[in-house]
Amino acid sequence: MDKVKYFFQQSWLLIVASFCFGLLIAVANAGWQGRILQNEEDKFNNLVVEMIPDANTSEVALENVEVESGKGKTRATSIRKALSADGQCVGWAFTCEGSGFADKIKLVLTVDAGFEKLKGYGVLSSNETPGFGDKIKDQFYRNQFVDAPTTELVLMKLGAPDVKDAEIVAISGATVSSEAVVTIVNTFLGQIKSHMQEKGQIGDGN
Amino acid sequence: MATDGEGTAGLYKDTLLAGLWRENPVFRLLLGMCPTLAVTAAVKPALTMGCCVIFVLVCSNIVVSLMRNLLRPHLRILMFTLTIATFVTIADLFLKAFQPEMSAALGPYVPLIIVNCIIICRAEACASKNALAISIIDAVGMGAGFTLTLCALAGVRELLATGKLFGASVMPDWFVPWAAMGMPVGAFVTLGLMLGLVNTITGKKD
Repeated sequence: MDKVKYFFQQSWLLIVASFCFGLLIAVANAGWQGRILQNEEDKFNNLVVEMIPDANTSEVALENVEVESGKGKTRATSIRKALSADGQCVGWAFTCEGSGFADKIKLVLTVDAGFEKLKGYGVLSSNETPGFGDKIKDQFYRNQFVDAPTTELVLMKLGAPDVKDAEIVAISGATVSSEAVVTIVNTFLGQIKSHMQEKGQIGDGN
Repeated sequence: MATDGEGTAGLYKDTLLAGLWRENPVFRLLLGMCPTLAVTAAVKPALTMGCCVIFVLVCSNIVVSLMRNLLRPHLRILMFTLTIATFVTIADLFLKAFQPEMSAALGPYVPLIIVNCIIICRAEACASKNALAISIIDAVGMGAGFTLTLCALAGVRELLATGKLFGASVMPDWFVPWAAMGMPVGAFVTLGLMLGLVNTITGKKD
């Protein structure tokens, strides 16, 4: 009993403060969580509309699709169907992520309705080196993915960036970041395509 | 009484100015080096970081000063950390809700304010030993000194790395940007030169 009394004598302030601070954080979180989620949703939708101009809205087609991202790790993503104003499917969009040069890179990847060509990618978050790795956000690099086939992409050090094929020309001085984007796209694209074919969302290409 | 009033006003003024120059946390005490080097590639994120530090510093100094007579010596660091972590979490949530772009740009450096030496140093050296008013003034002075230093460093780096300030072009057409100034090496070089300049101005020999 004395030990319990001693414990409370010593730590009552810590216990009371922990409770009060926890309450404060809970109130702040409850007040702003809706706005935080809305910001994330807006960023995703803005990138989707930028890549698929015909898209008017999007709806979740498949939730919690697990993708093996190497080294025994799996990541879950949701696949959204981009819809035009008249309700037609004009493409698909999903988030994908992987390791970059400095930190994790999180992308939005969009493909056409038939899952045959890429519509492009947008960067949701990355902390790549300013002036070098962060050029993955630049149109020069992003444009190479527009209309590229949904097969395995290959990173090239030299080539023609204007030609729409599976060869992606790396950013000079940022080979690791360039490779990271191609790896993320390849990792997610193949597995998600197979998953959607299994679920009957798209044709099997035959 | 007039003398007492003048003495108090003088003390407040002295405390406020100490953080801005005589005991500037970055240039004179060399505290908070992690954000100083990491978020000063541009002025906007540096200013945001400075505002977050001012908020956390003022709030934690208020709380620590109010509970200074209740603090157990062996639990004080735990209480300081708990207090600082609470306000850092609130600042992080606020940025995610109202400044999502800055939150993304600052990345992990906002949560890392928890381990910023300036804040725990002021809690230990000032707030835990002084009344509320002096603790708040000390926090404002130190926070403002830190923010101004970050902005000065970021201004030089952004200008030389991109030719811009707050994203607006200010350099003549012939100016060739020094990409290295936006990278970690630029942070070390600029900080070193500024420290040398401050030491020269103050006549510090050692």
